[in-house]
This record gives sequence, C-alpha cells and structure tokens, in this order.
Amino acid sequence: MPDAADSTVIATRALTKRYRDVLAVDALQLDVRRGEIYGFLGRNGAGKTTTIRMLLGLIRPTSGEVSVLGRRIGPGETGVFGRVGFLVESASAYPNLTVRENLEIQQRLMGAPTSAVTGAIEQLRLSEYADRRAGRLSLGNKQRLSLARAILHSPDVLVLDEPANALDPAGIVEIRELLRSLADEHGVTVFMSSHILGEVTHLADRIGIIHEGRLLEELDRDELQAKAREFVEVRVSDPTRAEALLREAGFPHIERDPDSPGVLHVQDAADRTARIAAVLVGAGLELTALTATREDLETYFLRLTGGAS
Amino acid sequence: MFARALATEFMKLRRSRVTWATLAGLSMGPLGLALFMWIIREPGRAAQLGLLGTKANLSGLEATWPAYASALTLLVGIGGMLLLSFIVAYIFGREYTEGTAKNLLALPVDRAWFVLAKLVVAASWWLVLVVAVIAESLVVGLALGLPGFSSGVATGLARNALLAAGISYLLVPMVAWITTAGRGYMPPLGFAIAMMALGNLFGKTGWAEWFPWSIVPLMIGAVGQPVTALPAGSYVVLAITFIVGVAATVLQLRYADNAQ
Repeated sequence: MPDAADSTVIATRALTKRYRDVLAVDALQLDVRRGEIYGFLGRNGAGKTTTIRMLLGLIRPTSGEVSVLGRRIGPGETGVFGRVGFLVESASAYPNLTVRENLEIQQRLMGAPTSAVTGAIEQLRLSEYADRRAGRLSLGNKQRLSLARAILHSPDVLVLDEPANALDPAGIVEIRELLRSLADEHGVTVFMSSHILGEVTHLADRIGIIHEGRLLEELDRDELQAKAREFVEVRVSDPTRAEALLREAGFPHIERDPDSPGVLHVQDAADRTARIAAVLVGAGLELTALTATREDLETYFLRLTGGAS
Repeated sequence: MFARALATEFMKLRRSRVTWATLAGLSMGPLGLALFMWIIREPGRAAQLGLLGTKANLSGLEATWPAYASALTLLVGIGGMLLLSFIVAYIFGREYTEGTAKNLLALPVDRAWFVLAKLVVAASWWLVLVVAVIAESLVVGLALGLPGFSSGVATGLARNALLAAGISYLLVPMVAWITTAGRGYMPPLGFAIAMMALGNLFGKTGWAEWFPWSIVPLMIGAVGQPVTALPAGSYVVLAITFIVGVAATVLQLRYADNAQ
C-alpha cells in the first residue's frame, strides 16, 4: 500500500464487497493523487456509494484493502478522519437544531476553532439560514449544510457522494467553483461520485468509470474527450447495397444505427462526406441525408456501461 | 475525546420535544394515582362527578400514604422500565431515523465514546425524571392530605423508586444494542416489551432473581410480595447484563456494516 510520503492519497487494492449473492464492488484498484479532483462515475447501483462507505470505514470490505493518507482503514481507525471531510449519500442533519448548531457539533467533534463554523456558513452561502432549524431547510440548503459540515475543519481530503444532489443549476456551478478552488489553492484532494457525466467532466481532473462493481476505465479529461467518436450518418434508399459500395470505396468501418437499421454510421469519415455522396449518388442510390456527427460523451458513457436500458 | 462526544450529545437534546414528552408522561403517574386515592377516600363525591368510584373501591387499595407510596414504586418501576427503554431507543435510534448515524462513524472520535456519551445522557435524563416524579409525588400526596405520612414513608418511597430506577438503567444497554443493530425505534421497543413480558413470566417462577427483567418486578412487589433484599446473585446478573449490553453496542458499531 502507498504511504503518506508519496502522492497517492486514496488507494484501494482488490477492494471487494459482496452482499450474499450480490457482488457490489469487484476487485477495485484506485489511486487518487494528492490535489486532484477524481470523478467516480457510474450509473445508479454501480457500486459508487458502497465504495465510498468502504473508504470511510462505514462498511467492511469482504476482501481487499483501503488506505487514506497512508493509513489503512479498518475497525477502530480514527486518527486519519480528522483530515477527511465527507458527505455520504443523502444530506442529513439534526432537524431540531439550527444550521449553526449542527455545525457547532461538527466543530467540537473535529476540534476545529469556533470561527470555522461562521467560515463554513459563509462559504456555502448559508448566512441567511444560520439560525433556521435544519428540519425546515429546503433540500438544496440541506445539501449545502452537509457540504459545510464536510469542509468545516479544512480537511486535506474530501470524499463526496453525489455533491450536486438537490442543488439548482447556480448552486451546482457554485459548488463546482468551490471544489476547484479547494483543490487548486489549498491542495485538497477531492474524490467525488456522480451519475451525471456532465458534472464530472466539468470538474474532474481524472475520471474512473465504474459499472456493476468493476472499474471499466480510468482516464483524464482530455482522454475522455478524445474517446468521443466521429462518424457520418447516411440515410439512403438501399442501405445494404450502400454499405457494400462504401466498403469497396475504402470505408471499412460501417455500422448500422442500433435504433434505425436503415441508417448507416460510417466511422472516421467526417472529412470525406463529399466522397461518400459521390459513391452513393454515382451508383444511382437515393441519398436523403448525409450528416457528420460527433458522438457526445453521454453516448460514450452509455455505450461503455451497456446502453440506456 | 469523551468530553467532546458528551458535550455534543447534550447539544442534540436542544429543543427536543421528546424530553418534555417523557417528563409529561411520567408526571401524569402521581396525578392519576392521587385521583384514584381521592376516589377511594370520597366515593360519594366521586360518584356524583361520574368518576369510577366502584372500580376504585374494588381494587382493594386504601387511601393511605403507605398504599400510595407502594403504588408509586410500582409505577416508577414498571412504567419506568418501559419509558427508559423508549428514551434509550430515542437517543440511539434518532441517529438512524434522522440519517445522521453515518456522520458519527468517520470522525477522529472513537465510536465507543459515542456509546458511553449517549448512555450518560440517558442516565442524566432518567435521573432528572425520577427525582422530579418523586418530588411531585410527595407534593401531591401531602396536598391530598393522605393519612399515615411519616419521614420513613417518604424516605422509603424515594429509596425504592431510585433503586428500581437504577436497576432499570442497568438493563438498557441491551436496548441500545438492539437499536444500533436494528437501526431504528421499533426493534428496541419490541424487545423491551417482550423482555418485560418475559420478566413477568419468570417473576412468577423460582427463577425471578436470575432473570434480569424479573428483578425490578420482584423487588417492587409486581409479581408477589416486595423483596426487601435482593440476593447477591441478582446484582451479578444485572452487572453482567449491563457490561454485555455496552460491549455488544460498541462491537456492533465498530465491526458491523453501517449501511444506513
């Protein structure tokens, strides 16, 4: 396992969690480096929250290991958690206590200075609600309170499960900027899960895609952008003949559109649309549409994780 | 670290309606009993007011201080066992129903300190309730002008009620364990009711001194004549029950999966 001296802040080795017949997390290998924002992307039920619970010692792995800041997480581990802030799954707070009182509890438990409470309230723009009981907060403000709780003690590591949950678009941008500044200006390492691709690609330096408990791919933002494929969509009167003609003309990578088999997708041909048109029209086929298309990241993600169903 | 955990556990009770509800609930006991005593003493006036004079007379109770004190001990002993289980189920169970349990488990504070802090809060809450109800009972009894009052009766009432309350407290770490294992209010309340029923059953057998939940009923006379002195074995059983309950709760939080 890596130690605190190297740049790895969160490491998992063959991390596995099994619930009876369900393999929730399967031999997960992760290395999250100091100061980076790591986006942990997966569809609902992919194993994101289970992984986060194991990172925080809330549940015990069936096998494998987790270390955070060089300390192996196991029963009785407490020391490292003074340097970790977290938000797991849904936002939660004591409903009979005010926003400020909820944060005072965290401040005391963490041994943070009392000024940290006001600081966190201001950072999450909760001043207006500081004396309101948590039970009367909107879902978005409850999420802000949970984020305030996570950052209150100026942690070195933030582990956030779906941090944008319940936030409005402006709130999402605000939290994104906050996390970016914590990483860039204070060297905070952020491990955040999300099922929303756009949220992760806007923020994360590196992205791990988890599906059915397994890490399918790990890549940085530029690599993810490069993964998006380009193709030319062709609508033509006789797609079978068109496919044969195009293959003869030097377009070997042709697929049928899974939703509409009469439409061809000609790969790696976005700069040769004129040649495609010439081949098909020259053969007397009726060409009704010819469109150069770039597959968006959402489609890439769905393709990787087994489609939209 | 324990001091930090304890301070925050007391903070969590701010503006909690449950604390006042338990005080209101237990304080109804002496008032109800006083009404019963008044009906026994003045059945004619009670009948005129439409109160249950006949039933009160049939209960065989006398409107005297010793009878009042004995009934109050029963009330604090039996009713208190259930109420205290409710308090402990609330203190531990609210973390699950309010979704905050997960926030307690990845902190630089050992999970065992939270268990002990919560048990200290429960003890303080319980002590305040019992002392308040003993004081209320004395005031209400004196205001009613029941015959047979003496400092000995008052001291006996306070001693027996506090002893029953203390013994009841030794049983509640088991309730705390069931709450953390069951992650909510219902399992511990079901457990407490089942144990009280079993305690009543065992209380009528020769095993009353050895079954933890029979010891309070045995002591206060709920299952026969009150026992003036419990055998040493009963205290050993109670101590073991307390220690096992605390250890099981700590181990539950430390080793079991806490997937809320």
